[in-house]
Amino acid sequence: MTTDTPEVLSCKGLRKRFDDVTAVDDVSFTIAAGETYGLLGPNGAGKTTIISMVAGILRPDAGDVLVEGVPVSTRTTEPKGRIGYVPQELAVYPDLTGRENLTFFARLQGLSRVAAARRVAHVLGVVGLTDRADDRAEHYSGGMRRRLHIGMGLLHEPILLVLDEPTAGVDPQSRNAIMDNIRELAHSGLAILYTTHYMEEAERLCDRVGVIDAGRLVAEGTRRELVALLGERDRISLSVDGDLGHAEDVARLVPAVLGVAARGRGLELLVHDARQCLPAVLSALAEEDVRVRAVEVDEPNLETVFLHLTGRALRG
Amino acid sequence: MKALTIAGTNLRRMFRDRTSLFFVFVLPLMLILVLGAAFGGPSTPKIGVVGVDSGHFLDALRADRGFRVDTVAREGDLLAAVERGELAAGLVVPPSLSGEVRLVVRQDGAGEQARLLVAAVIAAENGRLASGEFVARVAGTDTADAMSIVDSVAAVTPVVSVSTSSTGDALFPADLGRFSLGASSQLLLFMFLTTMNSSVALIESRRLGMSRRMVATPTSTATIMLGEGLGRVAVALVQGVFIIAGTSLLFGVRWGDPPAAAALTLAFALVAGGAGMLLGSLFRTEQQAGGFGVLTALGLAALGGCMVPLELFGGVMRDVALFTPHAWANQGFAEVASRSGTLPGVLPELGVLSGYAAVLFALGAWRLRAVLTR
Ligand SMILES: Nc1ncnc2c1ncn2[C@@H]1O[C@H](COP(=O)(O)OP(=O)(O)O)[C@@H](O)[C@H]1O
Ligand SMILES: [Mg+2]
Repeated sequence: MTTDTPEVLSCKGLRKRFDDVTAVDDVSFTIAAGETYGLLGPNGAGKTTIISMVAGILRPDAGDVLVEGVPVSTRTTEPKGRIGYVPQELAVYPDLTGRENLTFFARLQGLSRVAAARRVAHVLGVVGLTDRADDRAEHYSGGMRRRLHIGMGLLHEPILLVLDEPTAGVDPQSRNAIMDNIRELAHSGLAILYTTHYMEEAERLCDRVGVIDAGRLVAEGTRRELVALLGERDRISLSVDGDLGHAEDVARLVPAVLGVAARGRGLELLVHDARQCLPAVLSALAEEDVRVRAVEVDEPNLETVFLHLTGRALRG
Repeated sequence: MKALTIAGTNLRRMFRDRTSLFFVFVLPLMLILVLGAAFGGPSTPKIGVVGVDSGHFLDALRADRGFRVDTVAREGDLLAAVERGELAAGLVVPPSLSGEVRLVVRQDGAGEQARLLVAAVIAAENGRLASGEFVARVAGTDTADAMSIVDSVAAVTPVVSVSTSSTGDALFPADLGRFSLGASSQLLLFMFLTTMNSSVALIESRRLGMSRRMVATPTSTATIMLGEGLGRVAVALVQGVFIIAGTSLLFGVRWGDPPAAAALTLAFALVAGGAGMLLGSLFRTEQQAGGFGVLTALGLAALGGCMVPLELFGGVMRDVALFTPHAWANQGFAEVASRSGTLPGVLPELGVLSGYAAVLFALGAWRLRAVLTR
């Protein structure tokens, strides 16, 4: 994407190895002000490792992280004040109240006692916890705890918000609330780095998406740009009964099928032309006694893009 | 200052936890109370008497300061009281002190002393009765007159007296308060135990992702480590000050010269804080650290003379003990509390403890930095 807005975050050539695993392999990307950038990839792809280096809590083996042109590392402190970091695991003190949790981090962000109290009150409102501010976090519901957890990254009015799978393990209603929250923050001009393994979240929330697999950034662009990578291709969704693994094997053997992924109670197929190859797919499945309950032909989505790029499903 | 914010949050969280409040504040005082009552300074043992409630014999028994003599109404009550240990000995005296005097004693030191006392008093009483009989026969008076002649002669007869003095240091000075015995040992044991236990919070902080969150704020790792270290020391100090204040107010424990006692407490809190920080950075799980922490705390306390006094240690064990900070702190407190030591007197102990603290903090900070940023 070309834009006049200056880069808020710039990652160049990030690498990180853990013993014999290359967790991040030469990853570079930039995020502009007001832009929401999604890192989409399956579990173990290296998303958290990238985020940790961006937040300055993990030392890269190689590469640089710059926030507004200022290098961030485990030893720098000043530029960290511009980053709001929301880690993947729920990091709140269960035995402290919501207000105490927020105040603690506001103080670590360097806010004075008075300024901290004011910002904490504001953030409690933003994440909808004003009424429960003085209850201990251990008495919160899962969704409330998540919101507190996200609020802790907003205290110091960062210019870059870094969220690592913020909806993991959250019920659908809280998930929607969280996504709305994030969208509002993006509208207010915050640059956002967002990781997820949910294609839907990336499609709904992100201006641009980086597809990440096995530590490498395999593609990058807007949703439209990424889907265009597929050329003239279609996506077929099949709901099937019985052994999904077997159905997957059968579908894979049909010549016109470019990729297959099992998903939920069905299969996702990537094909050149759905109308042309659907009969062949259905008859192959019928021959093997796989019952197809529903068929849907659609434009490719990011899931299909991932399938195309890696030959694998984003998630099982 | 951010380090104080971190340390303060450590303390706040400790005060939130009911179980840790029990272990930190209630249990140490309870133990000091119980140990003091069981083994503390001398309480006067008692002898119970059935059969007489006044007279020369009872007065002679009561003349001994080592025992209190109580009269008991029934023989059955007397035996039961001896069995329960309320009385060191029970004495059944026949009417007019003729015939057999029966004595029941407990099988312990006080019982044995009671037996010796009763035997001596009865020997003297026999001598008195024999003298009375002699006077009655020679002077032809009745027994009552004869006895009053004997008693008035005895009152003016010069007698041989015994004066006793002792030599060598008493193991436990007699003027130490009843609960002072072992109070400083309990103080050290608990300060160390609590701090080791509270360092589990460091691991919890990492497990919860709090440490990473802290490193992601504009706070240097040095400040974070200082804060966590101060937090450990603060926990130890709060407990130490509480135990010292509580035991001196409630049980009259004498801790000696305040500046010297305070310096020892602070130095030991620093040692415990350093050890806690090292423990919190060495282990991956709270269970591992908790188990190891408790074992280490109890082991060092035992080796360092917190369970059995150092004075009872043999040669080799005494040398081994000097590898523990507890032994040095125990020595320091003994100097201050029992021998009226002041700050200059405990400088060697303070020096060794500071050395321990410095080494442990350096190791702890080094390890913690490594696990915080990998
Ligand atoms: N601290 C670590 N030590 C060793 N291996 C790690 C560590 N953190 C992550 N990894 C490995 O690096 C890879 C990427 O992990 P991660 O960044 O957590 O992926 P994601 O967040 O995309 O699920 C995985 O193979 C993971 O096992
Ligand atoms: Mg992750």
